[in-house]
Amino acid sequence: MNTNIIEIADLVKRYEMGHEEVFALRNVSLTLGKNEYVAIMGPSGSGKSTLMNMLGCLDTPTSGTYFFNGANVSEMDDDDLAAIRNKEIGFVFQTFNLLPRATALQNVELPLVYAGLKSEERRKRAIEAITRVGLADRMDHRPNELSGGQRQRVAIARALVTAPSIILADEPTGNLDSKTGQDIMRLFGDLWRGGNTVILVTHEEDVARHAHRIIRLRDGLIESDEINPNATSV
Amino acid sequence: MNIFESITIALDAVRSQKLRSSLTLLSIGIGVFAIIASTSITNTLQQAVNGQLADLGENSILIQRTPTIVFGTNWAKMRRRKNITYDQALQFRDRMTNTKLITISNTSPGYTIKAGQESTNPTVSLIGIDDLYFTVNVTTIADGRPVTESEVALSRNVAILGTDIVNTLFNGEPCVGRTVTIRNQEFTVIGILEAKGGVIGESQDNRVLIPITVFNKYYTSEWDASVDISLKAESKFQLEATQDEAVGIMRSLRKVKPWEDNNFELDRNDALTGQFSGFSTALLVVAWISGLGALVAAGIGIMNMMLVSVKERTREIGVRKALGARKAWIVRQFLIESITLCQLGGLTGMIGGLSTSWAVTEILRYNNMPTIVYVLPWGTVIFSIVICTIIGIGFGLYPAWRAANLDPIEALRYE
Repeated sequence: MNTNIIEIADLVKRYEMGHEEVFALRNVSLTLGKNEYVAIMGPSGSGKSTLMNMLGCLDTPTSGTYFFNGANVSEMDDDDLAAIRNKEIGFVFQTFNLLPRATALQNVELPLVYAGLKSEERRKRAIEAITRVGLADRMDHRPNELSGGQRQRVAIARALVTAPSIILADEPTGNLDSKTGQDIMRLFGDLWRGGNTVILVTHEEDVARHAHRIIRLRDGLIESDEINPNATSV
Repeated sequence: MNIFESITIALDAVRSQKLRSSLTLLSIGIGVFAIIASTSITNTLQQAVNGQLADLGENSILIQRTPTIVFGTNWAKMRRRKNITYDQALQFRDRMTNTKLITISNTSPGYTIKAGQESTNPTVSLIGIDDLYFTVNVTTIADGRPVTESEVALSRNVAILGTDIVNTLFNGEPCVGRTVTIRNQEFTVIGILEAKGGVIGESQDNRVLIPITVFNKYYTSEWDASVDISLKAESKFQLEATQDEAVGIMRSLRKVKPWEDNNFELDRNDALTGQFSGFSTALLVVAWISGLGALVAAGIGIMNMMLVSVKERTREIGVRKALGARKAWIVRQFLIESITLCQLGGLTGMIGGLSTSWAVTEILRYNNMPTIVYVLPWGTVIFSIVICTIIGIGFGLYPAWRAANLDPIEALRYE
């Protein structure tokens, strides 16, 4: 029994653009263990986003295998993928992607709704998660009544609430000023120290330097995969 | 996820798109309104008319020269028919064996009734009757007494007044024993009719009843000398036999050749009811077809609205899918949303239709149909709830399916 959460082997993703074939990922192999803090980097067009979609079980590969906690994701149908996203993956997006008409608390509850939890249990767990990101006093506010940093905290609480195997953050500080960005990065650091597995997808070195392992992509291939001995602790 | 949360989300979405939602709701409302209002009004009228026709008497048969209600019949041919004379009617009465409940009457409109200085408008119907009139018909006397056999035989100048006339001439006070004048003939009032109301506009209380022999003496002209004969069968089971005998006797009295059609009209009150119901069915068919048409058009509006809604909420759908919403859940959410929309529209149409038909009933009640009672069309109310649900599902399914099959990556990237 190994502690690898993610095992990817020979992953290929090919798109048909008219008559042209585009390889977003050419041949990627990767393993990620429990409680790692990883940054995936690369310029645009490097396959970074495609890899993130794969890791997030939003898409399936053209060929190759992807095991998530021993389950073969590459052969799953849409509903199985939805179930694994719900249970195992917490998403944090650059644009927060909160539902505008719902309160902060209702937003955090949403993944638990899809998990089929009863409403008292949902409420209890959502309040726990929102307290963890330091927004207990704002949970009845709607997203447009919150600052950017607060919105991203709500989104992180939403990612945490199902106690997923990985937290997958796509440019989480991209829409925030640098000070707020620092706060958010500190929060990810706290989550990692609390035992979570964090994957950051970014093109900013400033963000990536917080991670303990940095994977760089170029032209659909892994260019480098290194331990970051100087991980900034914030 | 329970259904109430889905409805809350749906209502939320409706609230956030007030104008678009209300336009779509309106078109559904119009469809349901047409169906509910028309059904409710015709049901109410139908019941009222059934009541009025029942006053003609159960198991009764009416013989006239021409029909009461003419539906596209050749009127010219009807007009050539010979009068049913009083003598002919008397012979008919003598020869009938199945029933002795036979009354002969004749009506002539447009009389002025006077008493002292007071006089009525020249719109009073004068009706010549005999002593069995009140036995065969369901008309009743409120005060005084009916005409006797001897008053008919001896052509006595006695009159029974409708309440409209009592109100005009005597301020509604008791007037049995007083005298009224009809075209220079003086009559002693012997009775007052019970108030009846009228079938749409024509009051049944604006009339005066006198012995038919007096009527024949002073008030008939060549063109309206034809009398009406009303019969009452002794029981429902005797009705067919009584009708057959009546037809046979009338044919022989009026010398109809075996190969010719009847040259008189014979109606049963159930047949008259049937004629009205044919008319109301036609009305209902028209209203229902246009109502259902409006609902189908509204359904297309719903589909369009839902498609726009799916488009606008692409990103939201992407987020929901990323957070683990299965296809079935997305389909369900959008279906509940379109059903909720349809039901809201249906509810407005229902309230509009029910209150309109109730108002129409009230107006009729105050004007000329005091006995009308509003009939709430429960069946149609339930039907419109069902049809709104079907439309919500039918026209919401495709947009919901589109939403459920969005690619989450594309949806998340959608601006």
